[in-house]
Amino acid sequence: MLASSARVFDLSLGQMLWSRRSVFLGFLLGGPVVLAAAIQLVTATTPFWRFSVNGARVSGPGLFGMMIWLLYIRFIVPVLGVFYGTALIADEVEDKTITYLFTRPVRRGAVLLGKYLAYLACTTLLVLPSVVLVYFLIVPLGGGRVGELFPSLLGDLGMLVVGLAAYGAVFAWVGARLRRPLVIGLVFVLGWEPSILLFPGYLKRLTVAYYLQALVPHAMPQDSAIGILMQVFREVPTIATSLASLAVIVAVTLWSAVRAVEEREYVLDQ
Amino acid sequence: MIESAAPVVVTSHLSKWYGQVIGLNDVTVTVPAGITGLLGPNGAGKSTFLKLITGQLKPNKGEIFILGERIWGNPALYVRIGFCPEQDAFYERMTGIEWVSALVRLNGAGEREADERAHRALEAVDLLDAAGKKIGAYSKGMRQRVKMAQALAHDPELLILDEPLSGLDPIARRKTIRLIKEWARSGKSIIVSSHILHEIESMTSNILLINQGRIVAEGNVHQIRELIDTHPHTVSIRADQPRALAREFLAADDVLSLRFEEGAIVVQTAKPDVFYARLTELAASGELGSIHEVTSPDDNLQAVFQYLVTT
Repeated sequence: MLASSARVFDLSLGQMLWSRRSVFLGFLLGGPVVLAAAIQLVTATTPFWRFSVNGARVSGPGLFGMMIWLLYIRFIVPVLGVFYGTALIADEVEDKTITYLFTRPVRRGAVLLGKYLAYLACTTLLVLPSVVLVYFLIVPLGGGRVGELFPSLLGDLGMLVVGLAAYGAVFAWVGARLRRPLVIGLVFVLGWEPSILLFPGYLKRLTVAYYLQALVPHAMPQDSAIGILMQVFREVPTIATSLASLAVIVAVTLWSAVRAVEEREYVLDQ
Repeated sequence: MIESAAPVVVTSHLSKWYGQVIGLNDVTVTVPAGITGLLGPNGAGKSTFLKLITGQLKPNKGEIFILGERIWGNPALYVRIGFCPEQDAFYERMTGIEWVSALVRLNGAGEREADERAHRALEAVDLLDAAGKKIGAYSKGMRQRVKMAQALAHDPELLILDEPLSGLDPIARRKTIRLIKEWARSGKSIIVSSHILHEIESMTSNILLINQGRIVAEGNVHQIRELIDTHPHTVSIRADQPRALAREFLAADDVLSLRFEEGAIVVQTAKPDVFYARLTELAASGELGSIHEVTSPDDNLQAVFQYLVTT
């Protein structure tokens, strides 16, 4: 299974990197870099201007932490998971190239697994440089030391990879099992997760973001109404619990996706 | 021809339906080694049958044995099978050699072996010159041939070809037919589908006639052939100089009618064999410019099937 998956990975990575989705991904990941460059430019040309949230000044590292949480973890990573994860098999079906993969001595589950690994490599290769660029543009603002904070950057990068792995696996399963997976995925990441995290109780454990937030090495800003509300109900699992839970999420959803692909028929339009 | 006694495909009461639509209805058939033609009009169930015997679809009812083994959920069997699908679908950004080689690697071959096999397969389909070109830049005929190359590159025992001559020009058609016969002579079994009897007939006399999801006849082609000949055969030819071709065809006794469409000429002939032979000669000589594509609607075959079903 693993050897077959590695072969599918080889075939799929190049296809994924040069796909139409990667153009979309480029725009998505270019956004924070452009924003960071704009902030850097404004700061450099306006000596007395400082970035602030609700009147409180935010330092470079603080601003970087906000961007990681709000832009990458809460938006870019889940959206990438939805768009790529739900399309792992669907794209091949839509392009009618699935026939070539499913008539080879490779288990269908290995096809899904190989394509999932290609997704993870592709998104990681594209997301991490964007984060590093934002880091070098934002952290020095207000006197932040790039070298000193480098370990926290590594923590951010690791967390992003874990996030990509978890969201990708969840939506690989959604794509393999359900109809209209894109709509369901977008409702999950843009509707269910943000709203359910605001409320106390167990339901938030049915989100990926709940476990990811424990891995954020930065202190989140507490000066907005939502931030204060979140602080009241804040219930963050330990890092070990988060990592174990995310590992379970990845393993269970990937296994379910593999089962779904092995059992399902794919009828191509003539 | 080296033929083993064992049949390559055995189906028993095989049925497949898509919701309320029946794709294949209670098909019990044994396909012997050698070349077998699967003939039927568009929508007859040919593709459903081929998808079932290649394990892409799961039967709703009945059983399938390919080379003595069940196919659904048995990926190891694909080492022995090569499939050339009908759909014109590729990884367009890959070159021919990259694509074929990548698919051979999925069969378990190492990089070097896969490259060698891909090289040989592209050579066999006469596509070596264009091996380094992106598939997106291939002509229809080249795309058809690269599809065949991926099917045979891993040297399978059974080749299943879904409409392999569709859209080919006359010379490529002749070459492909010759190639299929060569593969059969080398001991491979081949199932080839088409909606044109004359294509099938040029490869084999063993046919399965399929219509409305049922096998309506199987065996020797010649009896069916007599029926076909009583119905005019329509051929559409896309060429550089359709008017010059029309002048040439009008002088022939077997041409019943012709009309022009955008960049093409549509001919009705009473003697398809004679017509195709003349067309191939014209294409080879190049006297009347290039002939790009020859297609045949299945009106005449549909008429024969209606006759078969109602008598």
